[in-house]
Amino acid sequence: MALPPPDPQFVLRGTGAPVNTLHFCCRNQEQDKPLLFSGSCLEPEDEEDRECVGRTWRGISLVGPDSQQQRCPDQVSTVDYWHDQQGGTIVIQGRDLRVCMWDLAEGRSVVTDSILTESVGFCQCSLLDREGGHWLLAVPGADMAAVRVLDLPSKTPVCTLKPDAKLGMPMCLKLWQPDSGSSPLLWAGYEDGSVSLWNLSERSLLSRLACHAEPVMSLDFDPGKLRGVSGSSEKAINSWTLDGQQSLKLQDSVELVNPGISHLCIREDRRILATAGWDHRIRLLGWKKLKPLAVLQYHTDVVQCVAFSDHDVPNKRLMAAGSKDQRISFWSVYNQI
Amino acid sequence: MDSGPLAVHLAVRQCINTLSTSRDITEVTEALRTAGRYLSGTEDDPPACQREEFARAHYTKLLQFLISNLNAHWLELLTPEQHMDLWVSLFLNGPPDQVLLVLLDCVNSCSMSSGLERGLDVLEYFLQRGRLSALLWATCQGPPPANSPQLRDALLSRLVALPDLLANRLQEHTRPAFQPLHYYPLLARELSVALERTCQALREEMFGVLVPCLSALTQSDFVWKRVCWQLVESVPDRWMEGVVSGLVQTVDGSAALSRLLGNVVLKNKKAQFVITNKLLLLQYKYKTPMLQSLLGYLAEDSGRRPLLIQVLKALCGTWSSCSAVKHSPIEQQLYISKALLICLGLLRDSEVLEHREELLQCMLSGMQCHLDSSIPRVHHLGKVVGESLSARLDPGGTRLQFQYELDTETKELLSLLSPPPAHQQPPETLPPDSRTEPAPKSPSSEREEGKAGVPAARPIKQHSSDSELDSDDELTPYDMTRDGELGGALAPRYIRDCLEALTSSEDPGKVEVSLGAAEGLIKKNPAATREVSVELVKVLLHLEDRFNTQGFLRLRQRAMVSLTVTDTLAVTGYLTTEFYSLNYSLRQRLDILEVLALAAQDLSQPTSANSAPSKHKPPPLIQPVSTETAPDLQGTGQHWRRVVDQRIESKTRRFGKGAPRTGSSAAPSRFAPVAGCFFFPLLRNYDRPQVTFDLLGSDHLVLGRLVHTLGVLMYFAVNAPVATQMGKALLDFVWAIRYHTDPVVRQGVLFAVSAVLLSVPNERMFSELSDEMLEARAWLGDVAEADPDADCRGLAGQSLLLLEKILKKSIGSPSRGPNDQALQL
Repeated sequence: MALPPPDPQFVLRGTGAPVNTLHFCCRNQEQDKPLLFSGSCLEPEDEEDRECVGRTWRGISLVGPDSQQQRCPDQVSTVDYWHDQQGGTIVIQGRDLRVCMWDLAEGRSVVTDSILTESVGFCQCSLLDREGGHWLLAVPGADMAAVRVLDLPSKTPVCTLKPDAKLGMPMCLKLWQPDSGSSPLLWAGYEDGSVSLWNLSERSLLSRLACHAEPVMSLDFDPGKLRGVSGSSEKAINSWTLDGQQSLKLQDSVELVNPGISHLCIREDRRILATAGWDHRIRLLGWKKLKPLAVLQYHTDVVQCVAFSDHDVPNKRLMAAGSKDQRISFWSVYNQI
Repeated sequence: MDSGPLAVHLAVRQCINTLSTSRDITEVTEALRTAGRYLSGTEDDPPACQREEFARAHYTKLLQFLISNLNAHWLELLTPEQHMDLWVSLFLNGPPDQVLLVLLDCVNSCSMSSGLERGLDVLEYFLQRGRLSALLWATCQGPPPANSPQLRDALLSRLVALPDLLANRLQEHTRPAFQPLHYYPLLARELSVALERTCQALREEMFGVLVPCLSALTQSDFVWKRVCWQLVESVPDRWMEGVVSGLVQTVDGSAALSRLLGNVVLKNKKAQFVITNKLLLLQYKYKTPMLQSLLGYLAEDSGRRPLLIQVLKALCGTWSSCSAVKHSPIEQQLYISKALLICLGLLRDSEVLEHREELLQCMLSGMQCHLDSSIPRVHHLGKVVGESLSARLDPGGTRLQFQYELDTETKELLSLLSPPPAHQQPPETLPPDSRTEPAPKSPSSEREEGKAGVPAARPIKQHSSDSELDSDDELTPYDMTRDGELGGALAPRYIRDCLEALTSSEDPGKVEVSLGAAEGLIKKNPAATREVSVELVKVLLHLEDRFNTQGFLRLRQRAMVSLTVTDTLAVTGYLTTEFYSLNYSLRQRLDILEVLALAAQDLSQPTSANSAPSKHKPPPLIQPVSTETAPDLQGTGQHWRRVVDQRIESKTRRFGKGAPRTGSSAAPSRFAPVAGCFFFPLLRNYDRPQVTFDLLGSDHLVLGRLVHTLGVLMYFAVNAPVATQMGKALLDFVWAIRYHTDPVVRQGVLFAVSAVLLSVPNERMFSELSDEMLEARAWLGDVAEADPDADCRGLAGQSLLLLEKILKKSIGSPSRGPNDQALQL
């Protein structure tokens, strides 16, 4: 007899708005002061005061958050994505067509810089840490089909990638630096359901795989096994592999009970895949064979994002899920080795 | 075994030996089977030469042996099937002339016995199975055998005198089939069949041989061409039709046809009539390739081009004529549409421009006729042709567009628009004999094989990549049984909630769930339903499929039907009034009719055991729920009763505990008392046209359905006291529209009449409806013979039969009760 699925460890209710994205930041923080950033969009009370907020949650641990929340920059934008950087800078992409850099060091909260993305799509940007204080940022371009890649903090454009074929808008991006030391690559999932791999230095499309019939909502890639996974609004999750000739092959497909995946994420130890479903449920699958492991039911609306914490102590690693029902739930799953 | 004649000889000898000596039934059947194989074996077993040898030299011998052993013991041992399959078939499958001679000899030589009876049985089979025409055909076919004159004389004299021969022999015991009254008509029929086959074969053979030959020869040789033209042109007028239609059917492609016919169509009036008129407009039995080659022939030469235009105009005229659409059979309309589309494909753009006005006129009036028709196939045909016409008239501009399914017929029609490639690989270049050489392997098929090779290699690769040992097993899965389908909105629990959701909800899921739950809620609480029934049926009637709900029409219909069943008086009152009121679409009116018919059906069915409490039934054992007991006592009371009942049940022994007999218990029909409420209001206002609804005018589809529905209501009112009045009213009503131009209405009328025949008690029918019945009988006879619509003729024939049967029955036993024939709805 299988065990009943676990309940959430604890739940954060204070966002007051649907949670669009989550990002843990546990390393390089003082002991027991891990951070969680959440991005959400406040419901407008009146049109003028459309306040969209990013929040920092401090001290997330197994016993619950110590200090509740630090109000982060108020800004008229939907916050889609954060990335923490060494200097306490975070990158926030908003629906106001801008990506802003915020300085959070020493309790400050000031915008230091911003980039106009000119894209009105839903695609979240992706950030890649390069050596020497440089970052690469991939954002959807002004042209609906294109992806722009910029160098940060200098903001110089590196390249613009636009497919020849009509693939529609890019829906999700992920930058990847292969170990072999060659140029960075970019994964992009497109509106027509295909997943593409781009070479940034040659600005060429390395491989393309039409793996869904519907737009790709989210993808994640495991550099160790050269194997990735993608979800769409369909009833299935597909995994694919990258072979030696840099070409993509469909590997496996898992049928779901209800259609729609809004986000998926592979845990750092590459044992578990978590998916955020339109059916209000979080699903856990074994990453090796995509064996279904658990269905976590807590939320009462679409789950929009999942994130695994990168805590130094493996036992303290948590999974967080943000939902349209304005809550963030925390789960401790498969932590005992 | 393979040495031809000898082998056959041996086999037959062995058969005869076995049959005459053996007492073992399996040996006998095996021997009979062996003999039968020479007559109806498969292709190679036994070889054809052996079969010929058998038929020539041994068949008569075998037959004579069989006939002389008519009393053999083993004949008694065969089962009826074996008797038919093995023994009789030996007589029926062989050369018929030999069989006839042997059988008649047998009749002459045998004395009266059961053996003779058997012989006569076989002879009767022989006549029944059309072996006479086979005999005649066989003599027509081949060259006469050597001993022909005597044999032929013998055969002829026996064929002619068969009844006399048999009567001489059998005296008064001769059978009806052998009497001149039956035999000579049979012989005449068989003669005509054989003659027809002969004619057909001659024609086919002639053109089949001549045409390929000529078309090959004329391809390169101009002299041959001239000879051909001269030949066709000098065919006498009387035979022109036969020659032209034969040629047109056999020729392959328009180019060959124009080589053979030349310009005969311009020079000979008769040929012109046949080609431009008879083959296209009057006859419609020919296949599409013939149409293509014929019209292609007209288009090929500039001299003949005006004829093509003329043909096009004639086709257009027919296609757009309302009376043609109404009265000609659907096959002919299909044929004409095909011809029209082929013509369109052959026209040049300049010609289209020149005749644009006329074509446009034709399209407009033709479209209207076709769309008015209530036969779906005609509808469909009109859409396809109209769309093609408008596309051809305004290639760049606006064009008609319809929605229709792309079935095989449509695809065929659309493919006709593009003319077949004029110069395919011409088969005429090859002499007829060398055509059979196998076609070289086409490059495309090779390519396909190459493609097929790729996926074959794929699975192996997948396996290799998958083969690494995985250890997902260390992660034990949690219980995932609760991972069910996400059921959208919650279903409403009360009928009022359901009503509210249907009226005001904007949430697709909620509307869908409410619609799905409606039927159950309506049935669950009839009292609550009655409070809102009319309101709910109004909402349902006006409900639109805004969210493309799955099964919308069926759910809505079921809900309306169960409403009608639950609160019959109020809802039928509403629906029948609304049927004639303003501002409803035809679809809604048809819905009303369907709902009424289905509700009548539901009401007329005997109630099943657990729906609708019936006082006459013994109360079911374990659920004595009585509504009279106070609600608070009900719970406890029910509880102890159940315990006691269960105890009694477990201690009781029953002998022959069969199925409970609730199914056969009688219950009063629920439909009988309310049949009038369904029926008479629908008859009330049919002749009052309104702005949006003119039943006797253009809305004949609804009229057809109305009459049909009235027929259905009539049928379900069988045994109801009101049936006679209903029948009378219905006959009065349909009388006015019995010669309606639309076949759908006429079919409805015929259906209604047969429903009256089935439902009105016989004795009442003749006491009160005798005049109507007499008129109906004359009219039905008329329709059964002369109606242009095949379905109408069939229905009329059935009704007529029914009427005759009732007539006979009521004369035979005037006090017979209600009839219980089944009627297919």
